[in-house]
Amino acid sequence: MVTTSTTPAASAAQRGPQRLGLIAAVVLIAVSIALPFVPPFTGQDWQRYLVGAALIAASAVAFDFTAGYIDIVNFGFAAFMGLGGYTSAILVNTYGISPWLGFPLGALTAGILGLLTGLLTLRLRGIYAAVMTWFVALALLGLARNLTDVTRGPLGLAVSPLLATNDNLPYYYVMLGILIATLVVLTLVIRSRVGLAFRAIGQNLQAARASGINPTVFLVANFTISCAFAGVFGVFYAHYYGILTPDVMGTSHTIEILAIAYIGGRGSLWGPAVIAFPMYIAVQLLKVQLSSQPALYLVIYGLLLILVMLYRPDGAAGVIRSLGHRLDRRPKSGAGPAGASATPTPGATA
Amino acid sequence: MGAGDSAGPRSLWTEGQMALLELNGVTKRFGGLTAVNNVTFNVEAGSIFGLIGPNGAGKSTLLNCLAGLTRPNAGTIHFDGHDTTGFPADKMSRLGLGRTFQIPRPFPRMTALENVAVSASFGGARLGARAVQERSLEMLEYVEFPRAPHTSAATLNAVQLKRLDLARALASRPKMLFLDEFAAGLTPSELHDIAKLLRRIRDDGTTILMVEHVMRLIMDLCDTLSVLQFGELIAHGDAATVAQDERVREAYLGPNYML
Repeated sequence: MVTTSTTPAASAAQRGPQRLGLIAAVVLIAVSIALPFVPPFTGQDWQRYLVGAALIAASAVAFDFTAGYIDIVNFGFAAFMGLGGYTSAILVNTYGISPWLGFPLGALTAGILGLLTGLLTLRLRGIYAAVMTWFVALALLGLARNLTDVTRGPLGLAVSPLLATNDNLPYYYVMLGILIATLVVLTLVIRSRVGLAFRAIGQNLQAARASGINPTVFLVANFTISCAFAGVFGVFYAHYYGILTPDVMGTSHTIEILAIAYIGGRGSLWGPAVIAFPMYIAVQLLKVQLSSQPALYLVIYGLLLILVMLYRPDGAAGVIRSLGHRLDRRPKSGAGPAGASATPTPGATA
Repeated sequence: MGAGDSAGPRSLWTEGQMALLELNGVTKRFGGLTAVNNVTFNVEAGSIFGLIGPNGAGKSTLLNCLAGLTRPNAGTIHFDGHDTTGFPADKMSRLGLGRTFQIPRPFPRMTALENVAVSASFGGARLGARAVQERSLEMLEYVEFPRAPHTSAATLNAVQLKRLDLARALASRPKMLFLDEFAAGLTPSELHDIAKLLRRIRDDGTTILMVEHVMRLIMDLCDTLSVLQFGELIAHGDAATVAQDERVREAYLGPNYML
């Protein structure tokens, strides 16, 4: 299935960075598992930051799956999350089903609305498609505000917790598991034949068509997958924070996800996941300091976004990648071309 | 396979006989402007067919109609026995039409090999994963792509991009290949190599339709020529006869053109 896999003739230049990437991934996962036991992350406040960071990391990965590959910006991402969350919350509250069942159901409703939105909008290109996704989001937001019989509107809907504990640590591991599963699944899709079509469409639509790709099929498929994942994250959000208000669906929430996805590096998937932790936590600490200006964090995201666009369009992933290449090239004194792939140094993740 | 249905008005539209590509009265208007007016001709399988004409004659518009980028206002297009009038470009590709672009259109954030693999995977050949790899490497070699297969497409120069475009077009095993001003900007020695390559592609069974300005290449390669002027077909036939045609010489080649 892996169309981009290396061939013996040309693998020498590729294998080194790939091996290095795998090692970095294992180290990062180990670090994220151990993190809650390292001060200051042992405190409940800090662990709540970690849960939020893992949640926004997963969101940014699924956002990048669409923005970074088929070049469609989903301005309704947070609304699809909210739809998943409300679906689960209402079903759990009404029928008393397990919150865990909410995950597939939330994914289903968000995925179906994603499919319909995609069919409706993805014949349009660029900004038009983005604007249409935004309209859908505003419509959903309006519904959540006004269908007070089911959502209680701005009063907020109380949601039963996912776990029978107030401790943040188990929630962190649940969300970390969701994040890792999201990364693995979406990376496998991108590396498959289907992913090749996504990339082709995003990089040159006319050439993709001339190569036999029906863009609508793949655009809608990509958008639907991304929205279904958004639904899953929304379900976690609802059953973790315990209350849902229509604000969850707001555009500023989408912008936060967009900023982290772009700063992390478009079209990499892992870049947004890696950058989400330091960025989100830094912004939370800043929010505490600047509680008199509650919207200031959006300005900070905006400034960072502009800097990335100007100086590093490939984001943090690009920076890390070029550092990796340098690390990979340096210890080349080994035995021939095979030696290069056998000597990646640890510490590539710092 | 006879490319020698030769000259004369008879070959303009031969009832009953199957050509690979058949145009009948193709017309394309943009508002009040008729860019292509009632164009009818056939392209025989196994030939190299040249479409020439001065700038603005409607060549690119006609090519876009044939390749599925725009829908003609009137007329029909038959490709390989199917009525393909108004088919989208991706469907044309899956039916066996490969094309290059006037300005090459690479997938910039892919390697050269991946660029070719896209067409091998989704074009008319519909190859499996392993076959895609083999076919893509084979095509890069076939067009004498001068860089390593894993070179990023963003680092290629204009001539390398043309070869990459060609490899991508051929990777789907097309029955027919459209070349849109492929020779533009090539040096004489590159031109010589390209002529050799195109002849080889034809000999390997792919019919070629080329829109071209480089007369040397056209006279060298084409079995049949069609000349467009102001959207109308003013001449059609074998290359030598068309080049002698008074109207063609006046309209396009200029009075001083020497064969």
